Amino acid sequence: MPTSQISTLERTSGWAKFGRYSLLTLIAVIVLLPVYAVVMQAFKTGAGAMDHPRSLLPVDLTTETIRVAWTKGDMGTLMRNSLVMSVLVTIGVLATSLLSAYAFAFLEFPFKRTLFALFLATMLVPAEVTILINKRTIDSFGWKNSMTGLTVPLMATALGTFLIRQVFLQVPSELREAAALDGLGHGRFLYEVAAPLSRPTLGALGLLSFLTTWNQYLWPQTIIDDTEHRTLQIGLSRLSNADINRLNLVTAGTVIAAIPIVILLIVFQRQLVRGLTAGAVKG
Amino acid sequence: MKRRWRDAPTALMMLAPSLALLGLFVFYPLVRAIWLGQQACDNTGNACHSVGWSQYIDVYRSNEFQNALGNTFTFAAITVPLGIILGVGLAIVADKHLRGIGVFRTIFSSTIASSVAVASLIWFVLLNPQLGALANVFDGIFPVLKRPGLLNDGGTALPAVALSSVWAGLGFTFVIVTAALQSIPRDLYESAFVDGAGSWRRFTNVTLPMLSPTLLFIGVVITARAFQAYGEVDLLTQGGPNAAGRPTETIAYFIYGKTSRISNQLGLQSASAVLLFIILLVLSFIQFRVLERRVHYAN
Amino acid sequence: MTPTTSPVRKRHHVHAATLIAGALLIAACGGSDKSVLDNNKPSTTATSASTASTAPTTDASTAPSGSDAASTTAPAASTTAATPLDSLPDCPIDALASATSPVEITVWHSLNADLLSSTLAKLTDQYNASQTKVKVKYVNQGAYEESIKKYFETTQKQRPDVVQFPEYIVQNAVDQKTAIPMAKCMQAAKLDSSMFLKSALSTYTTGGVQWSMPFNVSTPVLFYNKKAFAAAGLDPNKPPVTMADLREYSQKLVDSKAATFGIALESGFDSGGGWFLEQWFAKLGIPYVDHDNGRSARATKSLMNNPQIVEALTQMQSLINDKLAVYVGDNSSTGFDNLLSMVDQSQPAGMAIATSASLGSVLQILQAGNQFPNFKVDDVGVAPMPGPGKPGSIVGGASLWITDSADPKRIAASWDYINYLVQAQQQSEWGSVTGYVPVRSDANTLDPMKTKLSDPRFSVAATSLGELPATPDFSGPIVGPLREIRLVVAEGMAKIMSGGDVAAIIADMESKANNLIADYNSRNPG
Repeated sequence: MPTSQISTLERTSGWAKFGRYSLLTLIAVIVLLPVYAVVMQAFKTGAGAMDHPRSLLPVDLTTETIRVAWTKGDMGTLMRNSLVMSVLVTIGVLATSLLSAYAFAFLEFPFKRTLFALFLATMLVPAEVTILINKRTIDSFGWKNSMTGLTVPLMATALGTFLIRQVFLQVPSELREAAALDGLGHGRFLYEVAAPLSRPTLGALGLLSFLTTWNQYLWPQTIIDDTEHRTLQIGLSRLSNADINRLNLVTAGTVIAAIPIVILLIVFQRQLVRGLTAGAVKG
Repeated sequence: MKRRWRDAPTALMMLAPSLALLGLFVFYPLVRAIWLGQQACDNTGNACHSVGWSQYIDVYRSNEFQNALGNTFTFAAITVPLGIILGVGLAIVADKHLRGIGVFRTIFSSTIASSVAVASLIWFVLLNPQLGALANVFDGIFPVLKRPGLLNDGGTALPAVALSSVWAGLGFTFVIVTAALQSIPRDLYESAFVDGAGSWRRFTNVTLPMLSPTLLFIGVVITARAFQAYGEVDLLTQGGPNAAGRPTETIAYFIYGKTSRISNQLGLQSASAVLLFIILLVLSFIQFRVLERRVHYAN
Repeated sequence: MTPTTSPVRKRHHVHAATLIAGALLIAACGGSDKSVLDNNKPSTTATSASTASTAPTTDASTAPSGSDAASTTAPAASTTAATPLDSLPDCPIDALASATSPVEITVWHSLNADLLSSTLAKLTDQYNASQTKVKVKYVNQGAYEESIKKYFETTQKQRPDVVQFPEYIVQNAVDQKTAIPMAKCMQAAKLDSSMFLKSALSTYTTGGVQWSMPFNVSTPVLFYNKKAFAAAGLDPNKPPVTMADLREYSQKLVDSKAATFGIALESGFDSGGGWFLEQWFAKLGIPYVDHDNGRSARATKSLMNNPQIVEALTQMQSLINDKLAVYVGDNSSTGFDNLLSMVDQSQPAGMAIATSASLGSVLQILQAGNQFPNFKVDDVGVAPMPGPGKPGSIVGGASLWITDSADPKRIAASWDYINYLVQAQQQSEWGSVTGYVPVRSDANTLDPMKTKLSDPRFSVAATSLGELPATPDFSGPIVGPLREIRLVVAEGMAKIMSGGDVAAIIADMESKANNLIADYNSRNPG
């Protein structure tokens, strides 16, 4: 932003600038220090990681620990499982939310108000209540230790419906009337008009779903017992059970685990902000 | 009349997937859990028999539940104010047109990339009394870091767990408050400046009121997270230290934790979960009704 | 967003919320000294159990297999007196012969330390390679508690074929009717168990039936600093045996400044706080629970409040009060806080009681040399656990259970695998690396265990396990909620070690244990 357009209020003078930069740097260091310490330990040998305070210096680095963590922790399988689970749930949430949001926004049917209230009410039920029973339900279906059991219950959320309905309500009625005149049925209207118009919200919702599912901890821990379907978050906790001498394996594991999300968030920054603020600014 | 019913078949078709999912995986569990809350079951969760609705009262008044409830409230009391204050503070510090501010903004929002597992394990490693960097570098100043370690000392365990949660939530609050800050019309500041208000006054009279809906939202989200804190406890302390009366056992961990006293009693777990649901309802209600009165909405 | 409710209604909402919050608070105050596990209902053991077994199982999960029919008509009173083997599920070990393709079985274990899990992995890989009928897949389920929780909360179909369970879960496992009694397999295979450790077999025997196969056998032993002993004028080859010895040795260690404390004590539920107390009961020959320590019939009450125990614990507390011993907490941070206390730079302790299972790891860490420069491998002395009563100790650790999967091939395969693991050669390898006691004595005559035993420290546990008589009162308790009882006891021990009133705490522990047992018995029809 060119200096001329910054108001007098916001222009910072020389010393204030220096002060501000110093403050920013100090805070950045504090925020990043835990990450730095852990990343350092991930690139050291077991002995090096325990040799404090030298362990914090970028010397004697090795990629050995990362390699061991990858194989010992079977992180390829873990990542794949988490990825598949997150993608499936995101698709499921988007699909079901699009459909029900469309119904609530564009269709007329009895008990619409009540049904929508019920939808919203489900957002008040915490996971602690549902997981207890869902695990028994899934078990009785024979879906334990399967991707189906892992993903299907996570698709049950009304947040998507709520958000997309908001956007759909903004669609001008002239557009609807024109489409009806052109003979567009509901399906084509949804696919060719409504959905494309709400693409930013869909992107944000998709990213939010992906992130939330990727970070799931209690649900995968509850219904997965085998090693083939373990997700990344649970696999990480397994690494932490290892010997006290090999604690740096845990740090290596967390570094590996965090990288995909860091990349994802850098690429989808704008969707991220939109997704997070979806409820914040004047709901 | 006919118009209302005309779309019904289509509506039913489109609503069916969501209805099925929500019915089976949200409504049914709620009803079932409420029913199970007055049952006592064997250690496999079968062979349940009714012991009366007073079980809810018994669970609520039991010292384990009260302990978990107290711990959870304490956890929230630490994470909510700290989370809001730090998030707002960071956002304000970074809300300047300086060269390279983008780099700092990215750093401040970076903790969004950490999941509960990643954040907890980072702090698990840092605080480990034998091997953690923090413990070994600062134990001269704070001996509790090494003996017995922040996570093993009855007094510091819960704050330490809360600390990891606050750190993990920094990015989230920063991003949201920054977005909200940027939507505050600049001319409000200008007119306040013209009226002679100093920077602190501008903060209290312009920024805070304009941020209040956002702060309410963040408060609600962090509170909900605090009341559902499970992963942090599972990875850092498993509810312990036992000798100090399990000060880190949150309600979620009390229900699902492997070291919990009721880890194999479905009836008690259900009752506790339903009680948590009720408590969350009351809390949300209070937060929205009571606090919303103080929230300022433009126009 | 304009408010849609009038100010008056809004006030009502606020009032309602405050009222509810207030009501909750009021309900909370008062009466919160009761455990959530207190069985407050009048004892309806007979009626409630029988309604439980005839009530429709209200979940979609499949009922456990096999002998369920038999149990629904059995009287609800706790009688598992000498259940005839005939009424229990069979172990069809011949089913393996007819298998045309490899039978896959899943094994859950909870060996977290790298040394232990890698040794099990090695033995399992050896087994897989040595034959083609069975393919074993092993999964580390994390801590024992996690494994137990997952095992019992799931349906029978999802359970692993073989699971490693700790010794405190025996009665619970029997009551949930999920397993094939090991006795049947041993009988069908005509296994000669004469060389097996009697105490190891009897640990997993209740109601006259041996239910599981001991696999990793351990017992508490005394670790002591030989260098410090010598510096204090004590004979490093004559470790303390009685409580009086413990005091005398600690006094000498402290007076001579060879160590800051005589012994480090901890109150972990699986060690100094819970398990070790059961050891003392066994040494004194006092039953922990009724009905012959729960072995002739299901236990109905705790017998913890015994004057001899009060006396022994008071003596232990006085050691701490006189600064001859140090209390290091509940051992939750590393699992061997008391051992670490021995290598502490500033305030070391001369002795610590820990499980013999840590011997292998301890020596391995010291051997590596870089972590504790002051402490060499040879400085470590190992002796039987000191305490009141007779010398000797009882079995701890875990055993292997076969799940009744209703698939004869898988049951037979599970037996084949377990049988392999308890052969002399495998036990010899297992014991020599890990420090666990081989479950059979002929393993000690084979290498590598034979060579290992040239280090006398590795034979202490086995000797200690052979010393107590094999009768119920000297064998440790079997009772349903033993895990929860240990948690309660560990809390009590922590209070005692921090200076509380011993007699009052023990009486309280006993009454809590009674509540736990009553609650367990009323919910779990045997």
